[in-house]
Amino acid sequence: MPTVSINRKDFEELVGQPVPDDQLAAWLPLVKGELKEQDSKTGNLRIELQDSNRPDLWSCEGIARQIRIKLAGAPSPYPFFKSMKRPTHRLLVSAGLEHVRPYVAACTAVGYAVTDEGLTQLIQVQEKLSDVFGRKRHTVSIGLYRLPQIVFPVHYGLVKPDEVRFTPLGFDEALSLREILALHPKGVEYGSILAGHELVPLLRDEAGHVLSLPPIINSREVGEVRVGDRELFVEVTGTDLRMVVLTLNILAVNLADRGAAIKPVEVSYPSPTPLGKAVQTPLDFGKPQSILIETIETALGQPLGAKQMQAVLRAYGYEAKAAHNKVSIKLPPYRHDLMHAVDVAEDVAISLGYDRFTPEMPTQFTVGSLSRLEEISDRIRDLMVGFGFQEIISNILASRLELVERMRLGGSEWDRLVEVQNVMSKSYACLRQWITPSLLRVEAASSRSFYPHRLFEVGEVAVPDPTDEMGSRTLTVLGALIAHAGANFSEVHSCLDLLLFYLNQPYTLEVMSHPSFLEGRAGRIVSEGRTLGLIGELHPETLEHWQVSMPAVAFELEIDALLREG
Amino acid sequence: MADTPSLTSSLHPLEIKVLTALHQHRLSSLSSSSQALQEEQIAQSASLEPSQLSMAVEWLLTKSLIRVESEKVTPVVSLTKVGERYFEKYSPLERILSVTRDAKQTSRRLTIQDIQASEGLEPTEMSGAIGCLKKEGAIRIVQGGYVEATGSPSPTAESLRALLRDLRGSSRELDSFPEALRRVIEQYAVRRGNAQEPFRIDARIERRYLLTPQGEEAVQALAQQGPADEVSQLTPELLKDGTWRTKRFRKYTISLRPPRLAAGKRHPYREFLDQVKRKLVSMGFQEMRGPLIETEFWNMDALYMPQFHPARAIHDVYFVKEPTHARSIDEPFLTRVAATHRNGGRTGSTGWGYHYDQTRARRLVLRSQGTAVSARRLAAGPQVPGKYFSIARCFRYDQVDATHATDFFQIEGIVLGPDITFRTLLGLLDLFAREMAQAKESRFLPAYFPFTEPSVELHVRHPRLGWIELGGAGLFRPEVTSPLGVDVPVIAWGLGLDRMAMVALDIHDIRDLFSTDLEMIRTTRSHF
Repeated sequence: MPTVSINRKDFEELVGQPVPDDQLAAWLPLVKGELKEQDSKTGNLRIELQDSNRPDLWSCEGIARQIRIKLAGAPSPYPFFKSMKRPTHRLLVSAGLEHVRPYVAACTAVGYAVTDEGLTQLIQVQEKLSDVFGRKRHTVSIGLYRLPQIVFPVHYGLVKPDEVRFTPLGFDEALSLREILALHPKGVEYGSILAGHELVPLLRDEAGHVLSLPPIINSREVGEVRVGDRELFVEVTGTDLRMVVLTLNILAVNLADRGAAIKPVEVSYPSPTPLGKAVQTPLDFGKPQSILIETIETALGQPLGAKQMQAVLRAYGYEAKAAHNKVSIKLPPYRHDLMHAVDVAEDVAISLGYDRFTPEMPTQFTVGSLSRLEEISDRIRDLMVGFGFQEIISNILASRLELVERMRLGGSEWDRLVEVQNVMSKSYACLRQWITPSLLRVEAASSRSFYPHRLFEVGEVAVPDPTDEMGSRTLTVLGALIAHAGANFSEVHSCLDLLLFYLNQPYTLEVMSHPSFLEGRAGRIVSEGRTLGLIGELHPETLEHWQVSMPAVAFELEIDALLREG
Repeated sequence: MADTPSLTSSLHPLEIKVLTALHQHRLSSLSSSSQALQEEQIAQSASLEPSQLSMAVEWLLTKSLIRVESEKVTPVVSLTKVGERYFEKYSPLERILSVTRDAKQTSRRLTIQDIQASEGLEPTEMSGAIGCLKKEGAIRIVQGGYVEATGSPSPTAESLRALLRDLRGSSRELDSFPEALRRVIEQYAVRRGNAQEPFRIDARIERRYLLTPQGEEAVQALAQQGPADEVSQLTPELLKDGTWRTKRFRKYTISLRPPRLAAGKRHPYREFLDQVKRKLVSMGFQEMRGPLIETEFWNMDALYMPQFHPARAIHDVYFVKEPTHARSIDEPFLTRVAATHRNGGRTGSTGWGYHYDQTRARRLVLRSQGTAVSARRLAAGPQVPGKYFSIARCFRYDQVDATHATDFFQIEGIVLGPDITFRTLLGLLDLFAREMAQAKESRFLPAYFPFTEPSVELHVRHPRLGWIELGGAGLFRPEVTSPLGVDVPVIAWGLGLDRMAMVALDIHDIRDLFSTDLEMIRTTRSHF
């Protein structure tokens, strides 16, 4: 979800009329935009755009365009997409690039003198498109140049990294391509995209001047656009042909909206691409399609009719023609986000305005219920509260230190955890495999709260299980802990005994050696050969590890096991 | 003034003992000047523990039955921890004197830095001690910065030794020391800004207490009642033999604060979630559950999030270390979802148009969104029409701070049926606005989720918070429902209630929802 900065005055010029605050708020839903910040002094606005499939909206021009279309009730014409003349400017692609960075698209923009704000927007849209849409320049990257310095045709080819030198943006002297990749900040940031290739891509003009090393950096001589420049050359390279062309289309309509005349460039490939061997860009590669009006009406739950459907779609930028029960539609050339008729349905709803739909309650009857596990968990929680226990809720993520080491479980049969691979903080590196450490964490932080402490938590734990398809099981477990000067086994045993009495669950305790508990004062809770949980007096060393200076006793009961048939 | 009879009948036995002691002392003393008693004397004659005594005295003062006749403040000297250390290991003064004397005998030369290093002294200790010894002529500094013992004694060092010995293990009144030693004590006593000194001077306050006229009256009243048949606690024995009839029951001062109760209680945040759960069940929703550890398939692929989606990167989701992959994904779902991502499959969609990686689908992650539970439910054959919800623990790869938690609850669900449309979606959200936030006004805004189209954000005017975003929802894309075998429209909804919970519990840090501070958990009240 990119956030863009725009200037209100620039925005109003592009919309073609003043935009007071309440009008802005009314229009932002058209672009799924949310106003994040505004500075009334400078007129700067920061707008978050939610739709990650609508890169055409990630600029001042794009937001203004959607509003202009709404005001006009019809799509904006961009005649350069329909230019029949063969372009005068050509870009030649050499063989071999298909394994590195196969595709390129380009155009020229003449007659618009770049303004301060225009340049700011140009840089911003370039960043958003190559970063977010272009996945950090992997699939798409963009270059802008001063047209008068370029001798056509431009060549897109491969070179050895030591063979060519040029002065990159931000530097004063010429470096070899290898040096740029190693030393230039952009080389360091994006160099990995070209890693493993012996030859790297390069854009040069007919006279041999370097334009850029895509997707890393432009040449300083040709590739530094300044305020006042009136003639630009724009190119996009990348690994996905449609994304590359779409990106160029967006840049072209943005520049056209500011008054530039766009001239297409013909890109010639050594072998055919899905769009042909010679591709004239910008290119409208969208195809018209026919949709049943009823499909959209059914999804929205509202009859609209052919005439309104056509008007509503055109007011959102579509080419649309409705006849009888069908509407023939085509997206504008700067959009390529139509995967299914439901996408059209949403655009219809947005174009009309969500407030134009009357909410309707779902009427079909359903029966509400809790899962068996939740029902029995709730009963257990009720009983525990009645026994005088305070309920706790803990993070499920914990550290190995808490779950294993402090519990004296290192190397024992209980030393098995589901661990996170990409650890952000050691405190949240594992999923808990039992509840007692969570309760001890509370106990350790709460010595100033008056005693006795009786704590419980009913919560989820994750237990590694090699026999499971997923390698682990999620269990719901009750953990209970008592801490006070006289806390002992028999006290906690009484709680367990009464709890299982009310749950109608017969049980026996089997003596068990467990490192967290005192030897001879720990047991397994067993019923008909199944283990339901454990109980014991916490080992003084366990308490010491937690810096707990009160005797503590605990039990755990696996609630899933209570549900399982014996 | 409280009336005496009711006052005397509510007197605690401890209070009566103190009053009696003071009264008897007054009767036995001749001159009026010595009618008052010190606390120690009262304790002795009433045979009370110091803690009992101070309680009773406090109560009696509040009731104006006794008063403070005089107060004497006596300065008392004792050793601090530093003092005890000085006694064991000698003071800096003594140690400097001793090493310089040793050095003189062995003709070694020592600088201040040498001494400081060899004795492990702090610079501040060092400079004070050197200054004092020089002033007293016990050492001198010669050319080259060397410290030399002169052979003369240091009176301060000797006084210190005597005092450390005297005060070890006991305290003494300051005035019991001669003038010269008092000056040394005052010089080396802890004070604000310097805690590293051997002596501490505390003020011992001795108060003498006297009965007030009301106190006298109370004693008289007590004498008339005769204390013998007053009891404080009704016992089974008194009930059994009926002797309670001959007893008077001491009246309590019921305005005193009671002792705290260690009660059993639900967790305040859980109470909030329980209420949400009850509401959802009452609206006809069935609960659904799912595992904490999920495959990327159910967590994301089944929800039509392409494998290259930015929210699937290493910086957003926790990956499981071992095992890294599930053994398999249930068919026919894997094949159908793969086809849908590739080219739309049979869903009528174009698909994402990329090579779908079936190994990646089996990658294990910590569930990052509750919608994974909904996806599993759709695949497991839900009831139609049906309404489902889950309160699912989810995990995000986020730096933990006041507004970001690493694991948290998501409240999510689905509604499915042949009559579901965009308008019924809005109707459901309206219901949530009323039931969950008691909001009378709500607003729908276009939103974006990878798995729904159309998508809506629900904003409501909360009675206390003003306009807030309450949740997001949409109709599941056919690319989600059709591969999972569902052929009716499905609403997917999620509610963001943590902000409401935090307001209801009056907490300001999201981490406090899972607080480890028992005192906080015990004292948090909810307002919902």
